[in-house]
Amino acid sequence: MSTAVSTERRKPWEEQSVFVALILAILVPGLGHLFQGRTLKGLIYLFGILGLYLWGVKLGEGVVVYNQPEKGIGHRVTLHYAAQFGAGAISYPALWQQRRVKPNQHSLSQLSQPLTANFTGLLVSGDGNSAGKLVGTVNFKPEAGTFGNDTVGTFNGTLEGQSVELKLAGNFELDPAVGAGYMRKLSCSVVSTDEQNSGPGKFIAGSIPRPLVDWYGVPPEEKQLQILTGKLGKLYELALVFTWIAGLLNILAIWDCVQGPAYGFGDEPMPSPSNSDASAPATQPTAPVTAPATTSATPL
Amino acid sequence: MPSVPFVLAQVSSNVTWYLIPLAMIVSLVYSASRFELPDRILRRATWLFLQIIGFMAVVFAVLWVLSFGV
Repeated sequence: MSTAVSTERRKPWEEQSVFVALILAILVPGLGHLFQGRTLKGLIYLFGILGLYLWGVKLGEGVVVYNQPEKGIGHRVTLHYAAQFGAGAISYPALWQQRRVKPNQHSLSQLSQPLTANFTGLLVSGDGNSAGKLVGTVNFKPEAGTFGNDTVGTFNGTLEGQSVELKLAGNFELDPAVGAGYMRKLSCSVVSTDEQNSGPGKFIAGSIPRPLVDWYGVPPEEKQLQILTGKLGKLYELALVFTWIAGLLNILAIWDCVQGPAYGFGDEPMPSPSNSDASAPATQPTAPVTAPATTSATPL
Repeated sequence: MPSVPFVLAQVSSNVTWYLIPLAMIVSLVYSASRFELPDRILRRATWLFLQIIGFMAVVFAVLWVLSFGV
């Protein structure tokens, strides 16, 4: 490998505006490097850091990135979120979402407007046994009943692969619109006249998707966290660790974007024993002799 | 002979396997922040990855031996 490195190639991080690159690197991992023309490193940071972060979010079923100011340092930010914050703009929604969620919010027992959503879950019989897996669409609407408003609806889809239509009413329960996790739990009693799929006490229990803007960054309820950690076990902790490490790794990327690589380009001449005199130390540092900020040879 | 889905299920149920891609990403990103040239980054990342995995393997082996009450 040639050790004669041109000056132009030495400092690509100073060819573009360092300030703009800094802002971009803070917002999106690797974007500052791509702006500077350091494509390979930009892609390593983009896919490595962002990929790790999103993988963590996926592993933790979306209940990973959040801030709980009341539990944080100075009632502002938790260490948990401070680590995730380093990953860039992708973690910023949590600052806004923490204000949207209300403390101790309850499930909805009735709707104020119609709802249509994809549903996956189970048809459960009155004795608590599953009668099969349901996949399809639910349609609910508020309806005036004898004792006030009620929520009624239908399910259209398949039960264990067989086409089925169910009428739903009573005991309607749906997770709040804004909440942690990308699925909202839904349950409702079945009042279908279909003898095979109806009966005393039968109900559907499952979940419908929650829009991204209503789940991402929302702090979970304590009970929800307990259920999730019980379900995922160590995977949930691993998901948290992934997002923390991603946030911390981006600090290295930001530093590299502004100051350049810590140990130099990697092609600096290594000191050979024959060139060193007897008084020289046994080992030489591999870092460049001049720091990036002082490489312009200005005579003193 | 166990089927491929069975083996995959066993692998995915053990969180230890997640540490391999995690170590790969950490090695790659850390090395990228140390050097600029691609081949140096990749060589350093490979070496760092092997060091991390090797260290974890040693720790695993020690704990495994200790689990027998040695």
